[in-house]
Amino acid sequence: MVRTVLGKGVRTLHPLALLKPQVLEEAGVAFILLLPLLWTLAVAFAYAFGRAVYFSFTDYDLFKTPEWVGLRNYTQLFKDYRFILAFIHTLTYAGIVTTFQTALALLLAVVVNRKIRGMTFFRASYYVPSISSSIVITLIFMWLVHRKGMVNFALTAIHQYHRHILLFLALVVILQAIQVLWERRHRLPAHPLDPVLLLISLLGATLGVVVASWTGLLGVAQVSPVEISWLTTERKFLGIPLPFLSIMALNIWTTVPTFMVIFLAGLQDVPRELYEVAELDGATYWQKLWYVTIPAIKPVMFLVVTLGLIGTLQVFDQIAITAGVAPLNSVITLAYYVYWNFFGSGTLPKVGLASAAALFLALLTLVVVLLQRRFGISEKGWYS
Amino acid sequence: MWRRLLILVLALGVAFTLIGASQEVVTIRIVGFSGDTPMVEALLAHLRDLGKFPPNVEVVWEPEAKDMRERVLTDLAAETVADIYYIDVYWAEEAAKTGRLEPLNEYIARSEELGPDLRDVLLEPLVEAFEFDVNPDIPGKEIYAIAKDFNSLVIWYNKDYFQEAGVPFPDNDDTWDDFLRKARLVNERALSLKAAGGFAVNLNPDPVRYLPFAFANGMPFLLEDGCAPFGTPEAIEAAVFYTAPILGGFGATSADLGVGWPGAAFTAEKAALVNEGGWMLGPIMYDNPLLDFGAAFLPLTPDTKERANYLFTVGYAIPIFAEHKDLAFKVIEALTSFEAQLFMLERLAIPSRKALVEAPESPLVKPTNRFQEGAKVVFEATSQPGTRPFTFGAVGGGDYLGVLGEALTKIMVEKVPVVDAMKEAALELNRRMEARGLIAPGQCPTE
Repeated sequence: MVRTVLGKGVRTLHPLALLKPQVLEEAGVAFILLLPLLWTLAVAFAYAFGRAVYFSFTDYDLFKTPEWVGLRNYTQLFKDYRFILAFIHTLTYAGIVTTFQTALALLLAVVVNRKIRGMTFFRASYYVPSISSSIVITLIFMWLVHRKGMVNFALTAIHQYHRHILLFLALVVILQAIQVLWERRHRLPAHPLDPVLLLISLLGATLGVVVASWTGLLGVAQVSPVEISWLTTERKFLGIPLPFLSIMALNIWTTVPTFMVIFLAGLQDVPRELYEVAELDGATYWQKLWYVTIPAIKPVMFLVVTLGLIGTLQVFDQIAITAGVAPLNSVITLAYYVYWNFFGSGTLPKVGLASAAALFLALLTLVVVLLQRRFGISEKGWYS
Repeated sequence: MWRRLLILVLALGVAFTLIGASQEVVTIRIVGFSGDTPMVEALLAHLRDLGKFPPNVEVVWEPEAKDMRERVLTDLAAETVADIYYIDVYWAEEAAKTGRLEPLNEYIARSEELGPDLRDVLLEPLVEAFEFDVNPDIPGKEIYAIAKDFNSLVIWYNKDYFQEAGVPFPDNDDTWDDFLRKARLVNERALSLKAAGGFAVNLNPDPVRYLPFAFANGMPFLLEDGCAPFGTPEAIEAAVFYTAPILGGFGATSADLGVGWPGAAFTAEKAALVNEGGWMLGPIMYDNPLLDFGAAFLPLTPDTKERANYLFTVGYAIPIFAEHKDLAFKVIEALTSFEAQLFMLERLAIPSRKALVEAPESPLVKPTNRFQEGAKVVFEATSQPGTRPFTFGAVGGGDYLGVLGEALTKIMVEKVPVVDAMKEAALELNRRMEARGLIAPGQCPTE
């Protein structure tokens, strides 16, 4: 028996039924309509993939006849310390960027999904990084993380005013605690993060910091300016090179808005009744988010995570742009390793080695996505 | 009557076919750096006006905005080629090794414009820059490209700042110590430089600017055992000199001055001294034509009084798959003709023809303004002993310059001790050469 989709709905057909003229005619039409796509796939994917597989077993430089070398390119890959470095970088990049971009995109989507006046403006603003030219965005980012750029300026300011910041935070906590206790003592239902009380605490803390500064109790710390060269340094944070962390931040910044839009589409499909039922059961905002929203948009989240993983495992553009200034060993990824072997200077292209690395990357991408689907977020939504 | 009419019609047909065939326009495509577009388009128009191209040839300029080397290698591999390509001396040998560039010796031997011996027409180092022994079927060296122009590095200085500081201008006999002393004094005394937010020297962690000093100081390209030379005392001394303005507080990087490259800092009068080539002249002429500037050779090593420099040049090459190779060579003849090179010289490019650079009336011999004087210094700098083509052999510039750039960045930006950074650069280059099979495992230290 064969399950097939013909006409309306899913039907189960006997194999012989497929030979009926009507079925054959429909299949023929479908095949003809699919031909342009199949032809493109055959040439641009199947043929290219087949060539890459063949080249990965050869010594080839684009100009001489390929010479069969068996598995030598694959064994050579694992002897190259830079390939190992690229492999580790790629997995680190995929793990961190996919996690952050998914979480931030979801958060933003939840925020902009509210019906508040002027929200269209914010939705459009958040989306700007995704529709801007990647070169422009990268240049703006390079300017931000420049040695005399905004990031270092902000870090210097934080360093200079760290006492003010600490005092402010301490005052906020103290004032909020006093107010909440006061309210509760008078049998009023005050939440620890009550917005009105929090506003009073923030204003009170600001006043406290201003008075402390004005009276000279709190001075600006004399510190030398922070001049971290984020893109050219070999310094590391938690074992990750700073230039690589900078590129991660850039990628998160530029991809979050696109994924936000996908999440937004998913959120607007969640039935309103589910929230109403949850509210009747006394669910809080966070409980509704965790038990209603996230399960309901699981298929969308699967899409976002899968696209994120594929995109991050294959990251190339931003690495190629910043590799001109950043130390190669700090930013190299598998996709850049392929390019670097193909067009590395001083030698003709190492097509065999680059093809082996490219196939390894393709296999890695497939395995990671399948593992994610099996053990992480699957496409099955709340209804299944 | 019908017979005569038929003969007449046939005759007319044959005549029109012959006329049509004789007037068939052949398009010759030139692929080169997109940055050259204004100069090339003006040059092509000039040569068309002079009738320098064959009558049935239309020359089309195709600027390449991305990496020229990638473009050439992929076009040659795909066998879908233009007729003429820019070939940079940096990777010319590599392109010749593909076996897909046409050896030009026979064309030159037949040429009235460039032959019979190219050395009689172009400057010798420019011929040698594109002459390789890479074809096993041809004994000896073959010429694979015709140099169009060339450049070398010199020190450009702002005369106003030096006069304000009361410091003598840099001159061709300055040593490294003289250079640093003068730069320090200008930084201290030239108040208008400080007011402009500038520094005496604008230099970057740029290995191309550093290497001439290292070579002058006796650093070999590679050690005798094939290992990286960056940990040698000669390389380290040169790095100490090169980075001294930044570490001494009288120099700044372009990024710190808020400009894209030292030429922009110099033109904007934010730097009194920069180490650049003749390509500085165009930006000065267009962006700050009143700037009073001069040029001097790179300073000499303090003890041995040696100097080194790079010869940068680009040539025209023809792929073996080009459909109209003879016509393509005719176009190259026009592009490197006396008239073409005079046109380029008037626009401050330094031409490759001997007749133009050595003639008594040449602006390079008798300059009449400071721009021509600057071009003259660049031309003379190229002729100094110790000038070498900007090539990196089998090691490749990517790795050689890459590890050096990282070392200079560590020194200038992260203040890593010079010795540590340079020794690490040597180890890293050894690792890269070992990974690429250029040296045997264990042949050179990697840890």
